[in-house]
Amino acid sequence: MTDRPPAISTDGLTKSFPSRTGPVEAVRGITLAVEPGEIFGLLGPNGAGKTTTMRMLTTLLPIGGGRATVAGFDVGRQPEQVRNRIGYVSQLGGADELATGTENLLLQGRLYGATPAELRPRIAELATVLDLAGFVDRRVKTLSGGQRRRLDVALGIIHRPDVLFLDEPTTGLDPQNRANLWEQLEELRAGGTTIVLTTHYLEEADVLCDRLVIVDHGRIVVEGTPRDLKQRVAGDAIVITLRDDGAGAPDGMDLLAAEPYVRELSRSGDQIRLYVEDGSAALPHVLRVLDSGQVGVRSMNLSEPTLDDVFLRQTGRSLRDTGDSVGADGTEVAA
Amino acid sequence: MKLVRDTWLLFHRYTVQMLRNPVWLFVGFSTPLLYLVLFTPLLKHFSGPGATSGTVIDVFLPGILALLAFASGMSSGFGTIFELQAGVIERFRVTPASRLSILMGPLLSGMLMMFVFDAVVVAAATGFGFSLDWGGLAVLVLLLGVLMVTMSAFSVATALVTKEISSFAAIVNGLNLPLLLLAGVLLPISFGPTWMRVLAHFNPLYYAVEGARALCAGAYGNPAVWQAFCVLVPLCVVVVAWATSVFRRAVA
Repeated sequence: MTDRPPAISTDGLTKSFPSRTGPVEAVRGITLAVEPGEIFGLLGPNGAGKTTTMRMLTTLLPIGGGRATVAGFDVGRQPEQVRNRIGYVSQLGGADELATGTENLLLQGRLYGATPAELRPRIAELATVLDLAGFVDRRVKTLSGGQRRRLDVALGIIHRPDVLFLDEPTTGLDPQNRANLWEQLEELRAGGTTIVLTTHYLEEADVLCDRLVIVDHGRIVVEGTPRDLKQRVAGDAIVITLRDDGAGAPDGMDLLAAEPYVRELSRSGDQIRLYVEDGSAALPHVLRVLDSGQVGVRSMNLSEPTLDDVFLRQTGRSLRDTGDSVGADGTEVAA
Repeated sequence: MKLVRDTWLLFHRYTVQMLRNPVWLFVGFSTPLLYLVLFTPLLKHFSGPGATSGTVIDVFLPGILALLAFASGMSSGFGTIFELQAGVIERFRVTPASRLSILMGPLLSGMLMMFVFDAVVVAAATGFGFSLDWGGLAVLVLLLGVLMVTMSAFSVATALVTKEISSFAAIVNGLNLPLLLLAGVLLPISFGPTWMRVLAHFNPLYYAVEGARALCAGAYGNPAVWQAFCVLVPLCVVVVAWATSVFRRAVA
């Protein structure tokens, strides 16, 4: 299967938008390749250029510069062929509220050239796969958030696309619905669909994606499998939360920097983050150092590296601190 | 043919949606009837001596029909803004559906509704003494259709460019009033001073209203008829072409 062409390949993709203060470069040279049958993630903070990239790949936005092929067709020159082979679920979904799920699915399928007779069994199949059976004949405006999202995905795959694009698929869903959707997406992938999704949920990228790129300021910061990326951070992270002892209180940064087992050290706000090879062995040493420096410590945490550590290491910022970031449980954290 | 098929599918979708919106239907039917019932009686006192109710409504009704075509076209952008913000248009734009059909589906659906309202108004007006000229009415349908498509395409394209309700509403409302007043929709512009009559000649709606009056009177040979088509048909082609190109480029 290795001789199949990539599902997506881009070369130096750029896009800028005019604004009052001159052009804003939303995407500044994205080069990536997505293999058929992968779940590929674009992870990054809001405004990183994920959605703009996706909108160019789905023919919704003219390509600014560079090249892109999707399902073997040039996005700029063969948009019609691309549209026939992709599905796209936007953040908004866009189902007709006054129509039922079945009516929505029928219209969507017919716009791809299928007949109602071909679509009936397909709708029944989707109702099983995405668990729509209980509500597919109800009007969309009566559906819950999770039900609507599943219908949105069904609309995106009614025509069996080669590549499915999902823009923030689980935003606004509760943890239970989110986990269910992840499972359903994995089943789709098992059926051969290539899935590209944008997300700013670290956990989602970690659990769901075979491979991902972290995007920041319109550029790819790093690319790899979630496991590779985390291993690159090397070792464990120790997070120390300082007690609020007022300005000028010792924070122990100078002391910790002198310790031989500390590989990396950073402070943001009242948190000190350090990376060590073996977290559990280093903890007692760290405690002793902090104690000797009379540093007020509120709490200490030992954790295996997360994708946030990867992001932090590449950009110097935490994904959770970039504007309206999101906690691991999916609740929005106000900036 | 793909264009026809896609247009039919989207036409059908919009029509069903409209029929499921009872408030919209009620307002749609009541507005023209209110003009007829609450405005026509006032006109009796403005008309010259010896004018019967019949001649007043013969002048007034074509104005209402042109007004309906103009207003239903101009307001179609509100639906566009709503669908833009709900992601519906984006969902259609990702499908291989013909771009022109995404524009024409809702537009033709709005036109069908307009003709239904027109039929109701004309039927009601005959009760007020309106004298029907069937041949003129047939040509009038064509004229109103062209006017409605022009205004509708303009409105949808403006909605796609502005993308949000407040600036769109400001533009549409800002254009509505001067265009309506300078077209002699409710009262003939010939009642006005010279400068108004000169200014009216720069208003495409004026030609539609004059043409509609001539057609309702059965005066097919009246220059107002061919003048109306000569102004509106090229304008329609230009505006639809512009709207389609906006649709292709739309950063929805």
